[in-house]
Amino acid sequence: MSEANTILRLENISLAFGGVKALTNISFDVKEHEIRSIIGPNGAGKSSMLNVINGVYHPQEGTIYFQDKVRHKMDPTQAARQGIARTFQNIALFKGMTVLDNIMTGRNTHMTSNFLMNALWWGPARNEEMKNRKKIEEVIDFLEIQHIRKTPVGKLSYGLQKRVELARALAAEPSLLLLDEPMAGMNVEEKQDMCRFILEVNQQYGVTIILIEHDMGVVMDISDRVVVLDYGKKIGDGLPADLMKNPDVISAYLGTNH
Amino acid sequence: MQFFIEIVISGIFSGLMYALVALGFVLIFKASGVFNFAQGAMVYCAALAVVGLIDFGLPMWLAVIGSFLFMVLIAISTEKFVLSKLVNQPPITLFMATIGLSFFLDGFAPIIFGTDVRPIELGIVDEPILSIMDSTGIGISKFDLTASGVIILLVVVLALLFQYTKIGRALRAVADDHQAALSLGIPLKNIWTIVWCIAGFVALIAGLLWGSRNGVQFALSLTALKALPVLILGGFTSVPGAIVGGIIIGVSEKLAEIYIPPVLQDFFGGNFGGIESWFSYVFALMFLLFRPEGLFGEKHIDRV
Repeated sequence: MSEANTILRLENISLAFGGVKALTNISFDVKEHEIRSIIGPNGAGKSSMLNVINGVYHPQEGTIYFQDKVRHKMDPTQAARQGIARTFQNIALFKGMTVLDNIMTGRNTHMTSNFLMNALWWGPARNEEMKNRKKIEEVIDFLEIQHIRKTPVGKLSYGLQKRVELARALAAEPSLLLLDEPMAGMNVEEKQDMCRFILEVNQQYGVTIILIEHDMGVVMDISDRVVVLDYGKKIGDGLPADLMKNPDVISAYLGTNH
Repeated sequence: MQFFIEIVISGIFSGLMYALVALGFVLIFKASGVFNFAQGAMVYCAALAVVGLIDFGLPMWLAVIGSFLFMVLIAISTEKFVLSKLVNQPPITLFMATIGLSFFLDGFAPIIFGTDVRPIELGIVDEPILSIMDSTGIGISKFDLTASGVIILLVVVLALLFQYTKIGRALRAVADDHQAALSLGIPLKNIWTIVWCIAGFVALIAGLLWGSRNGVQFALSLTALKALPVLILGGFTSVPGAIVGGIIIGVSEKLAEIYIPPVLQDFFGGNFGGIESWFSYVFALMFLLFRPEGLFGEKHIDRV
């Protein structure tokens, strides 16, 4: 892991909403192909951090380097085009659409046909559709959701919806994947499946992952390195095993929650 | 029996005309979750632009193209000056904005294109087709038949577009969740402009057909109200639903007009004509009680 390139580097990021400081002077980096977790109590600023990375929020101070370039102020659409995909804490699937259609929206950045070609169902647009359909079948197989392909997502169980959301994000073939509590509200079995998928995504496809998760067991098991936030400040950063011994981290988080 | 069939057929035709207006609503609702109150004003605007440009001396086909460009201009400015300022606002705010827009269009278009009531000549005669008349005795107007063909074609194309293309999925995605759609790289603003352009195109077709039947006048703006019961029946989010809803409303309205007044007269005496003008609203109201999402609308299932 030591010689891996840094894919994302955050320097002195501060974010405030009016007088409320969500993030204060936070710096950390993410190396290619690692699983980087962000932990911390509720309201510590974890989701704000993800929103900064994918361009929903713009920090008042600090610099973001993505793939060795300074990243200027951008919106989520541009972040998506640069290869940043994400899932949401409260599932944000398109409820009326089928699983297949939901995952196909993930291919949006890979499809270049314009409106007129679409409207006329013209050759290039049709070929593109077929090609991308094949691509998402790989994702569907990989996440073992073949049987629910045609089901409207609103009808699925919570665990399956989370999995479909992951599928949609993966369909974009991201270089950086942000997962906001992918295992919240799942039972043990579903959690085990999800863990397996995350590890496989990381190892087989080499996708870099930033993970927010509350289940300490999971975080310590699958993360390469962990950032700990509390009240918008960074109180720890390092290997999971080392953090377990850090007194600040224990008092802020582990101690109260375990 | 022949009389009955003739009523049903005329009901289907007038229903398809309603469906055309309803279609414009469905498009925008589907793509932004907003009930576009200005759809009727857009129909009026488009038709007025056509007759206005003809008055300036343009030939018909050029006037139609010009009117479409005018609708595109409206779509782009609506996105730029109204909608883009209201991203992530609740639907009611957007709805109020479209009410404002409808008043603006109703006032703005006549300033440019004049207020006189003018006919649109499409060159299709509104007379029964003789061969059908001779063989079956049922009068089917050539105009009605052509109009219906155009409407059905339009609906089929739009339904396919929504269901099976990237743009269609993007439109539905945007309607469902702005935040998620953005995170997938779907450009919200482009999508809105595109859908308003399509709605403008549909308004133009509606303006041409309604305008050539009734003349281009302010009342066109109110055809929108006729689309409401159609939407309730067909569902606000279904393109084919607009057609089915339109046909049901058109037929039931015509049948009610013929068959209900005599019954009421037997009971109460007096005159019960003109049922046609309000029957569809009562019908839609009763329908709401049993199936609020419409026949084909998306039923929202929320797991708690």
